[in-house]
Amino acid sequence: MKLLIVEDDTSLREIICRALRSEGYIVESAATFADAQDKTAAYDYDCIMLDIMLPDGNGLRLLEHIKSLNKSNRIIIISAKDSIDDKVEGLDLGADDYLAKPFYMAELSARIKSVLRRGNAAVSNIMKAGNISLDVHGRTADINGNTIPLLKKEFDILLYFLQRPNHIVDKAVLAESVWGDHVDMADNFSFVYAQVKNLRKKLTEAGATVNIKAVYGFGYKLTETDETAS
Amino acid sequence: MKLLHRVALNLTLVLLPIIALWAIIFYHSMIEEINDEADDSLADYAEMIIRRQLAGYPLPPLNSGSNNSYTIIPLETAVEPFIKYHDEMVFIPEEEDTEPARVLTTVFPDNNNCYYKLTVAMPTFERDDLRNAIFWYVVALSAVMVLTILVATTLIFQRSMRPLYALLRWFDKYSPGKITEKIPDSDVHEFHKLSQAAQTAVNRAEEHFQMQKQFIGNASHELQTPLAVIGNRIEWLIDNTAINEEQYTELSKIQHTLNRLVRLNRTLLLLTKIDNGQFPETSSIDIAALIRSEIEIYDEIYSHRNIQHTTDAPESVNVKMNETLAGILITNLIKNAFVHSPDDSNIKVILQDDTLEIANSGSAPLDAEKIFDRFYHDGKSGSTGLGLALVNSICRYYGLTTEYRFEHERHIFKIKGFHRDF
Repeated sequence: MKLLIVEDDTSLREIICRALRSEGYIVESAATFADAQDKTAAYDYDCIMLDIMLPDGNGLRLLEHIKSLNKSNRIIIISAKDSIDDKVEGLDLGADDYLAKPFYMAELSARIKSVLRRGNAAVSNIMKAGNISLDVHGRTADINGNTIPLLKKEFDILLYFLQRPNHIVDKAVLAESVWGDHVDMADNFSFVYAQVKNLRKKLTEAGATVNIKAVYGFGYKLTETDETAS
Repeated sequence: MKLLHRVALNLTLVLLPIIALWAIIFYHSMIEEINDEADDSLADYAEMIIRRQLAGYPLPPLNSGSNNSYTIIPLETAVEPFIKYHDEMVFIPEEEDTEPARVLTTVFPDNNNCYYKLTVAMPTFERDDLRNAIFWYVVALSAVMVLTILVATTLIFQRSMRPLYALLRWFDKYSPGKITEKIPDSDVHEFHKLSQAAQTAVNRAEEHFQMQKQFIGNASHELQTPLAVIGNRIEWLIDNTAINEEQYTELSKIQHTLNRLVRLNRTLLLLTKIDNGQFPETSSIDIAALIRSEIEIYDEIYSHRNIQHTTDAPESVNVKMNETLAGILITNLIKNAFVHSPDDSNIKVILQDDTLEIANSGSAPLDAEKIFDRFYHDGKSGSTGLGLALVNSICRYYGLTTEYRFEHERHIFKIKGFHRDF
């Protein structure tokens, strides 16, 4: 998979490249409108991450240009402007997703996987880890073909973990992602613990080969257990 | 006190003594004149009697129909002739009563050097009537004069001050960032200058308001990328390097602080957007349902605090609002109640007609003047101090009124003026 990062901030460009390379992607980058125009014309990319505020032009015009090339690449807009107008215009022009700065790298990585999956109809909307498969749109979780009954929050938590396998997930970050702005002043995350506990119990009862492990005092990590043989 | 009233009062205070003084002087000179006339006619009468007496003509009959009376008394000794006027009570035979009268006393000698004392009396009831009439005329005239001046001044004042009142009405309507009409101008020099001064001041205020809004907006925008860089670098450290628990704990704490900064920045951007009116789309929002679902979420998040809650609201209450803003408004009010409630207390939410009231326990009243300001906090960690500022901005945007009061150890927040959408 080949990705192009169009971002004018050197430091952010570097960290995105490094993180995505470590996930096994081939990553190229462009710092300016002109550079991006040259690269998109000359090469094919599977997914382009596009900052819409560039020093020498509006990223939305670049988006139009890329779309006019009629290539099959996916486009994710990354923008400091979290405005609905920009989002709507970007998506109207054919972007596949819109991510407002600042974002977690894991989030970007999950969005890239998601839009790349959309490009591949055969595996669309199904995420797998161990013997669990998650239908993102149907919002169902199967283990060995049996659907396990998950509540809304439990599903959201499991999805969050599946998008970040082997990443340490901070309790507070998990809470913010699942509960949104509601938790921004929470001082106690026992409600996350309660949900994770229920989810774990359901996974174990259904014989899942993945486990949500507590890491240090404040995080979790989704790991595959070695009992796949059973 | 209104300027008009002040002018009328001052005018009255100045006019009353002046006109009163004028009335008194006028009255007294009139009376003086009347007395003079009376004395002159008494003197004529006395002279006529003296002439007749000296010439040996018969004296006029005592009852001549003029109410005047006289007495002539011969004197034993010679007296230096004199004329004296005074007032006294005199018996008038026609009236069969004593009446106040003007009396002239004089002494004259005849050809034989016999001296007579002549006393002529003229009753003064006619003169008193005149006096009375003059007194009331003067009083009435003065009163009518004062009133006329006041009414005329008031009318002229109101007419001339019209441009001032137009300007004042414009100021009443003005709020920064929302100019609807032009500042009223006038061809009267002073008002024109006032208008110009107001225009200059308003322009400056508008400029500052725009600059401040723009500054907050721009600063927040510019912060997004560096914030993303820091966050992503910390994330990379955690995921890709061998770090021990202690290092992880530190990094995670940095991440939490950074998250707070990100939230703060996002909220400032949001406030700027609300103040810029960037949420024009409206739809019908069921705030009763919204309140119930928000309470359910916070009940879960703060379950360890054992906070009870009751909601007294109709099944559904539809209002015309922007969906995002309605969500932010309700979320922040309910979050505020949960965050600041002590353990084991209770929260009461009442939604009735166009009013939403949220009450939670507290120990001391908050500063009602500042509670909706940006960055007003109680020092609780994690609080951005912007939640209620958001509430205030949204309420201002929709013309809702916000009210805070502290009653029976409870903080009560009231939002009034929801536009029902049926």
